[in-house]
Amino acid sequence: MTLLEADGITKRFGGLTAVNGFRLAVDAGEIVGLIGPNGAGKTTVFHLLSGFHAPTEGDIRFKGMSVVGSKPHQICRRGLARTFQIVQPFVNLTALENVMVGAFNRTDDVAAARDRAAEVLEFVGLGRRRDVPARELTLSDRKRLEMARGLATGPELLLLDEVMSGLNPTEIEAIIALIRRIHAQGVALLIIEHVMRAVMALSQRIVVLHHGETIAEGPPDDVARDPRVIEAYLGSGP
Amino acid sequence: MAAEAWAGLALALLLAAPPFLPPYFLEILISVMLFGYLGAAWNILGGYAGQFSFGHAAYFGIGAYTSTLLFLRLGITPWLGMVAGGVLAAAFGLFAGYLSFRYGLRGPYFSLVTLAFAEMLRVVAVNTKAAGSSLGLVIPTRTPAPLDFVFAGKLPYYYVILAMAVGAVWITRRLERSKLGYSLRAIRENEDAAEAAGVDALGMKLRAMAASSFLTALGGTFYAQYFAYIDPTITFGPAVSIQGLLQAIVGGAGTVLGPLLGSFVLTPLSELSRAALRGRAGVDVMVYGLVLMLVISFLPQGLMGALRRRPRPS
Amino acid sequence: MTGDLLLQAAVSGFLLGGVYGLVASGLSLIFGVLRIINFAHGAVMMLGMYAAYWLFTLLGVDPYLCVLITGPAFFALGMVVQRVVIEPNRRAAEHNQLLLTLGLALFLENLALVLWQGDFRTVRPAYAGASFVIGDALVEVPRLVACAGAVVMALALFAFLRLTDVGKAIRALSEEPEGAMLMGIDVRRIRAVAFGIGAGCVAVAGALVTPFFYVAPDVGESFNIMAFVVVVLGGMGNFVGALAGGFIVGLAESLGATLLPGSLKQLVVFALFVLVLLFRPAGLFGGGHGR
Repeated sequence: MTLLEADGITKRFGGLTAVNGFRLAVDAGEIVGLIGPNGAGKTTVFHLLSGFHAPTEGDIRFKGMSVVGSKPHQICRRGLARTFQIVQPFVNLTALENVMVGAFNRTDDVAAARDRAAEVLEFVGLGRRRDVPARELTLSDRKRLEMARGLATGPELLLLDEVMSGLNPTEIEAIIALIRRIHAQGVALLIIEHVMRAVMALSQRIVVLHHGETIAEGPPDDVARDPRVIEAYLGSGP
Repeated sequence: MAAEAWAGLALALLLAAPPFLPPYFLEILISVMLFGYLGAAWNILGGYAGQFSFGHAAYFGIGAYTSTLLFLRLGITPWLGMVAGGVLAAAFGLFAGYLSFRYGLRGPYFSLVTLAFAEMLRVVAVNTKAAGSSLGLVIPTRTPAPLDFVFAGKLPYYYVILAMAVGAVWITRRLERSKLGYSLRAIRENEDAAEAAGVDALGMKLRAMAASSFLTALGGTFYAQYFAYIDPTITFGPAVSIQGLLQAIVGGAGTVLGPLLGSFVLTPLSELSRAALRGRAGVDVMVYGLVLMLVISFLPQGLMGALRRRPRPS
Repeated sequence: MTGDLLLQAAVSGFLLGGVYGLVASGLSLIFGVLRIINFAHGAVMMLGMYAAYWLFTLLGVDPYLCVLITGPAFFALGMVVQRVVIEPNRRAAEHNQLLLTLGLALFLENLALVLWQGDFRTVRPAYAGASFVIGDALVEVPRLVACAGAVVMALALFAFLRLTDVGKAIRALSEEPEGAMLMGIDVRRIRAVAFGIGAGCVAVAGALVTPFFYVAPDVGESFNIMAFVVVVLGGMGNFVGALAGGFIVGLAESLGATLLPGSLKQLVVFALFVLVLLFRPAGLFGGGHGR
C-alpha cells in the first residue's frame, strides 16, 4: 500500500524556488533515504510533507487523502510523525512527559498515555531517564527522546531529519540499530541523513535532491555510483 | 507531598482564623485572595499555555460591568450576573484569541495585541453613557441581601473569595494532570514541536483562553460587589492586567500554588510599603516593578521554583 | 466648517506625528539591536519631560536648549540601565525580557509619582502660546518646533547610522547578529549604545513636547502605546518606517479626535494597531521583523 505520495510539489519563497517538482512515493513498511548536499531542500520537503509549509504547487497524499492545507497536528493524527533537524524537546518537561504528549495522539486517558510513553521510552533505550527534565539530557538522548515522542504518536510513517548529526560513531551505531527496531515494528521511514554509511545501510531506496530537484533515485548501490550524484556532492564543496 | 501538607494547613488556618482578625488584616487577606485568584486565572493562559496576556483587564472589566449593569438596570442578582459576565468574557476571549492565534501572533506580539484589546474596551466604557462613562457605576449600599451578593461586613466576602481562590487552585490542579494540561505545557515549551506531535495548538490555546477569561470575569464581579464601585480605569486599566500577571510570575507561573503564594508575598509587601511612606501614591507599584525585575533576574521560575530546588531522588 | 476643522486637525496631528516618529525610532532601534520590546520607553520619555521641567523651573533653562543637557545625560543613563538591568538577562526567554522592561516601566513611572506626585505640571516659556496662520490653518509654534526638532534628530540619527563606525556596527548587529559578532564588533558595547541612543532620543522628544504637553507621571503611558503602534505600523526595526509611521499615526489620531465623539479617537489608533499586527506584521512598508 502506498502511504505517502508527493506529486510534483513545488515550493517557492518569494523569488527562491526551494523545491521544484518533487515526486516521491513511500509504501508501507519501506525505508527510504533522502540525501543531497546542504541547501538541497530536504528539510523543506519534510516541512511540506508534515504540514508546516503548504506547497506552492502540487499535491501531497497520505493514505490516499490529500493533506495539502492540513495542519501539522492533523497530519500527525493520520499517522505521519517527524523529528526536527535541530532537536526540539520540551525542555522543562521530563522525558516521560515529553513522550506522553505524543502518546496523547492515540488516547485521551492520562494513565494510558503514561503507560504508553513509558513503553516507548524503554523501547528507545531511555527507560532509566524517564524522570529527567529534558534540558538535562545529552544530545544523543535528546535525539532518542524526539524519536520516542514521534513513535508514541503511533505513526505509520516516521520522518527522521538528520538524527545522527553531532553523534559519535558508537552513538551512530546505536541509532542505526534503533531505526532497525522501529522498522521491525512495521513503521515506514523516510530518512534525511548526511552520515552516508547509515543511509546506505538502512535504506531500501534512496532519493537524491539537489537544488530542490530529484537528480537520482534507486537502490543505494546504484545511487552511490551515479555520476550526477557524485558531481552534486563534490561540485558543491566540502 | 510536603507541599500538599502545607497547603492543607494553610487552608485550615484560612478557614478558621479570619473571624478573629482585626478588620485591617481581614481587608488585606481579602486582597491577597482576590489577587491570588486573578493570578490563578491568568496562570492558565500565561503560565500553562505560555501565552502572556497583558490585557486580562478586558475580562475583569466585562465581568464587573456585566453583572453590575444587569443588577442595576434589571435587578438580576449578581450571582447570575457573574456567570453571564463570565460567559461574555469567554466569548470575547475566544474572539480575541482566535484572531490573535489564527494570525500567528506569539510572544510579545500577542502581549501587545491583548493590551490593545483591553484598552479598546476601556475607551468604549469611557464613552458609553449607559455604562456610566468615566464616572463609573456605584452599587448603592443598602440592607444586606446575600441572594443579591450584598453582605453585611467583610467576613462573608472573604469566604466567597476564599472559595473562589481555592476553586481556581483546584481547577488548575485538575488541569495540570489532564491531557489539556500536558498539551498546553507542550505548546508553551515549543508550539511547532507540539503540533508535530499531534497537539492542536490553536484549539488548546483557545480552550485555555476561554477558561482563563471566564474565571477572570468572575473576579470582576466580586470586585464590583465588594467595593461597590467600578469605573473604566479600575476595571479595564493596565493595573488590573498587571496584578494578575504579577502574582503568577512572582509566585511561579505554570505551577498550581504559585499565584496564591505570589499574592501572599506581594500584597502584604505592597501594604507595608504604602504604610511606610504613608499617603504617597505609587510606592506599592514601584515596589512591584522592583520585585518584578528582581524576580526575572534572579528567580525566573518564581518562588515556587526556588522552593522546589531540592536534590532529586535518583 | 468641517473642512477647516479637519485641516486644523491634520496640521496639529501631523506635527505631533513627527515627535511620535522620533519616539518610535528609538524604540525601533532598541528592538533591532536588542530584540526586545522596551516597555519602559514611555517612562523614560516621561522622565525626560520632568528633567526639562525641573531645568526650566529651577534654573530657567529653555526646554529646547535643555536637550543639549538631557540628551547626553539620558544617553549615559540608558547605557547604565542596559548594562545593569537588561544585559545580564540577555539570554532569558523572550517573554521574561518583556516582563523585565515592564517592571522597569512600573518602577520608573511610580518613582516619579512618589517623588513628584500626580499633579499636572506645565512648562510655559514665553513663546508657549505663539502661533501663526498659513492659509486656513493655525500653526502653533511649539508644535512646529517640536516636529522640526524631532525630524532633525531623526535625520541626525539616520546619518549617524549610515556614516559612523558605531552606527554601521549597530546596523550590522540588527541585520545580521551572528555575522556581526564574527566581524569582531564589540557586541556588548553596541547593545548598551543602542539602548542609550533610544533613551536619549526619547528624552529629547520629551523635552520638545513640554511647551505644549502637560507633565505628569502617567504621560509616558500614552506615548508608549503610540510608540508601539507606530513601530508596528512602520515595521519593527524599520527605522525610516518608524518616522513615516509616526506621521501617519499622528494624523490618524488627530483626525479621529475630530471625527469621533469623546475620546473614541483612541479606538482608531488601537484598531489600526490590531489590524496591522494581524494582517501586516512586517509593517505597512514591509522591511520589519514580523511576528
